[in-house]
Amino acid sequence: MKRHLVPTLAAAAALALLTACGGSGSSDQPADGAQTIKVALWNYATTPEFKAIIDGFQQANPTIKVEPVDILADDYAEKVTTMLAGGDTTDVLTMKNVIDYSRFGTRGQLLPLTDEAKKLDPAKYSGLSAYDLEGKYFALPYRQDFWVLYYNKALLKQAGVEESKLQNLTWDGYATLAKSLTKGDGGTKVYGAYQHTWRSVVEATAAAQTGGDLLSGDYGFFKDQYSMTLDLQKNGTLMPWATASSQKVTYNTMFSTGKAVLMPMGTWYASTLLADTKSGKTKVEWGMAPLPQRASDGKVTTFGSPTAFAVNKNSKHSDAAKKFVEWASSEAGAMAVAKAGVTPALTSQQILDTYFALPGVPNGEVAKQAFKPDKVVLEMPVSDKSSDVDQILTEEHELIMTGEKSLDDGLAEMSKRVKSEVR
Amino acid sequence: MTLTVSPPAPVQTPANPPSRPRKAVPVRRALAYLLLSVLSVAVLVPFAWMVSASLKLDADVFSVPIQWIPAEFHWENFTNIWERIPLLTYLRNSVFLSLTITALQVLTGSFAAYGFAKVRFPGRDALFLAYIATIAVPWQAYMVPQYIIMQKAGLVNTHLSLILLQAFGAFGVFLMRQYYLTIPDELCEAGRLDGLSEYGIWARIVLPLSKPALASLALLTFVNTWNDYMGPFIYLTDNKLWTIQLGLRSFVGLYDAEYAMIMTGSVLSVLPILVIFLLGQKYFVRGIATSGLK
Amino acid sequence: MATTLSAAGTGRRRSSTWIGWSFILPNFLGFAALTLVPVIAALALSFLDWDSYSTPRWVGLDNFERMIHNDTFWTALKNTAYYAIGHVPLTLCAALGFAVLLNQKLRGARFFRTALFFPYITSLVAVAVVWNMLLSPDLGPVNQFLRAIGIDSPPGWTTSTTWAMPAVIVASVWRDLGYYMILYLAGLQTIPAELYEAAEVDGANGWQRFWSITVPSLRPTTFFVLIMLTISSFKVFDLIQVMTEGGPGRSTLVLSQVIYREGIVQGRFGYSSAVSMVLFAIVLTITLIQFQLQRRSER
Repeated sequence: MKRHLVPTLAAAAALALLTACGGSGSSDQPADGAQTIKVALWNYATTPEFKAIIDGFQQANPTIKVEPVDILADDYAEKVTTMLAGGDTTDVLTMKNVIDYSRFGTRGQLLPLTDEAKKLDPAKYSGLSAYDLEGKYFALPYRQDFWVLYYNKALLKQAGVEESKLQNLTWDGYATLAKSLTKGDGGTKVYGAYQHTWRSVVEATAAAQTGGDLLSGDYGFFKDQYSMTLDLQKNGTLMPWATASSQKVTYNTMFSTGKAVLMPMGTWYASTLLADTKSGKTKVEWGMAPLPQRASDGKVTTFGSPTAFAVNKNSKHSDAAKKFVEWASSEAGAMAVAKAGVTPALTSQQILDTYFALPGVPNGEVAKQAFKPDKVVLEMPVSDKSSDVDQILTEEHELIMTGEKSLDDGLAEMSKRVKSEVR
Repeated sequence: MTLTVSPPAPVQTPANPPSRPRKAVPVRRALAYLLLSVLSVAVLVPFAWMVSASLKLDADVFSVPIQWIPAEFHWENFTNIWERIPLLTYLRNSVFLSLTITALQVLTGSFAAYGFAKVRFPGRDALFLAYIATIAVPWQAYMVPQYIIMQKAGLVNTHLSLILLQAFGAFGVFLMRQYYLTIPDELCEAGRLDGLSEYGIWARIVLPLSKPALASLALLTFVNTWNDYMGPFIYLTDNKLWTIQLGLRSFVGLYDAEYAMIMTGSVLSVLPILVIFLLGQKYFVRGIATSGLK
Repeated sequence: MATTLSAAGTGRRRSSTWIGWSFILPNFLGFAALTLVPVIAALALSFLDWDSYSTPRWVGLDNFERMIHNDTFWTALKNTAYYAIGHVPLTLCAALGFAVLLNQKLRGARFFRTALFFPYITSLVAVAVVWNMLLSPDLGPVNQFLRAIGIDSPPGWTTSTTWAMPAVIVASVWRDLGYYMILYLAGLQTIPAELYEAAEVDGANGWQRFWSITVPSLRPTTFFVLIMLTISSFKVFDLIQVMTEGGPGRSTLVLSQVIYREGIVQGRFGYSSAVSMVLFAIVLTITLIQFQLQRRSER
């Protein structure tokens, strides 16, 4: 008996080696001299626009084959950083957000696309300016998300509120409405609104609509938005932030199961709702309205962030890769993205029509107005300070929302920390 | 086997002194059971939540207050997951990696541990300290240098990279060395007098005596490899090479996650560990009691 | 403990050196190339400015200077020490206690041993959600119980800057208990039953036997567990990341999170390595002290 362990282990190793066969090596270049480019992206199976772009591009460029390099969305940037540190040659890199982009760009890891960017009309690409790094561009946006107000049609109707009332909503109006929509108690409670735990819900809204600068280190402009949110939390209209955060409540749960009537959220959520409705996962009747405003002048200002493709400096097929990036941000690329239920970076009437023609997309004036904001402000300004400031604002946001710090103390601490800790 | 000397150390039998049946104190025993039962409930509650979540729709997973018994049971989660992701491939990769790494770690670790515990030579303790010192550096710090070495060696995106990375860790060496220290030197001396080489002593005396430690090392290494996420995430790009933990994370999206699927997968991924644990238990609990020395 | 190959002569010593190395070499080759070298490289980075791509630049002690003046670093250092001071002794005692208890011929010991190992293999998300639910300030059973026994304003646990760390410590002890219990169970198998029998003849009760036999005999295991526990609690990352993400505010922020954020996320690898260096120095000091104590007690 005594010597069984070693042979057992050795046998296990051998057995395991045998089962390992297969699963290495990828497809080689096709024989007809066509090129293959690799595109680093995330969650290929569940992110429909990637497939739409790749298919559309391959159709337009039959000599170029595109191979997705599927990376998990969760730690996408960290993996790309590591890969590039090792000299990886994946041709196209998806830029998940502009802060990551500025890091890769300033380190010199991306190929300049300034000429290509100059060909695009800045009036039609609201996200384009975010990629300006001291006059140079290293990526072109293909997708632009911005924030709107989602609402549960059935619950709104039940309460006898007209949908048109949401068309020109101010935050005061939102607060009053949300309070009146709150019903029930305990497990069956329906909250008038749900604001997710992210700091942007409060802070980026305030910055966009008051013209405040998130990097300035002076955060008095947050005050109104925070007071409103804290009041709503206090009178039970919003789920307490602490509960939502510690219980890892997802906004999808709150909205699609009818636990909240109103919800400010990004346009990406529409594609989730479209897909879930199609697959029967949810039966919620939903609508979209413009994000409520601070000022009541009828103009709609919201915030959002673009997503872009960039070319790796180590790419061995940089011409083909550039072609891909350009195609994705072109009119044809934008159509493909819109057809996948996602908001493209390029805005035009034709694109909007395509989007609203999709089955399941809420129609009508309110929704269409939601999709034509007057101004989309970048969620977080791009600078080498952005992520440090972001970290501090997030930490202090938690303290304000859990009530560990009073609003005034929290805002003062934010300013103090940003000024002293960020260089 | 040439070893016929009766060991100077007492024959090892299971150490369960306070439990001689004749001496059992009923009250104390009852208390022990009560404590253990309460604790078992406490340790199993999150697992129960996991199972319950695996039978729900995504939208119902994080309900407040917690819904312990799903309103409807979505058993189809357990069939759907096989279609959503290539779970079989992932499981096979996980099994392969965990078994290979565990086998290598146990073999090389226990071999090296003999050098550290039973052979005295200059520089031994300094070398041993270097082993422990590397455990003290968090992986977050050396992840990138390690990756660059692997990239230069052309091993990125292969299973071999992970095997090389994790099979020679310091953990196994340290654990086995500590265990070998408890084995009386007189046993080794007796082997030497019998004409055994040091390798023979390791293979025939020390190794058989250290079954409990080998079993616990194997178990812990297996579990750690099985549950490792960051290593496979950084080193494996090709979907065909992915492990189960990567597969589970693929349900986490940019803005939201399919938690029901994640929990379904988590329940499935615990099962192999459970089997290993139940099989291994007899080694680290009864251990050398039954075989011992001739 | 006396060692077997006593150095009788130089020839003998040389051969024992060869033999020793031959045992260590198979593991050492892999270890040196893939762990030791990167670790040394990482530590060397603390004197450089490196963004993972450009050529590293020598900056001397700049990274350390920045660290000393950084509030977040000190907060994380304090939190890490707090966590370790709570986590190490509690886990050690609990693991030893349950190992001794479950090494007996209790009915159902097999079930309990398995159950206690479960937290270690349960999905971290499930762990975080259930613990946060149990400790929920308003609805959680823990606070309901505290109110029932007359505590009017029970702590806010993971939503309070004061109580978040204790809550995390309790959850982590709960999670790691089974892991270290396994190591103790293996250690317990080496204690000869004769020792206990002799003690029983001498009239020692269970408690005395535990202190005079079990504890001393387990010394090498305890040494191992203690060092591994110390190291792992100074490096704690996953559980905190999932349970509180370092919050609320910075109340549960630990050094590993700082290292991760500054390094791979922000791309300031030099600074991140400087923080690792501090972590390394602390853990190494503690390990060396434990090493010396162990040696002294061996004599």
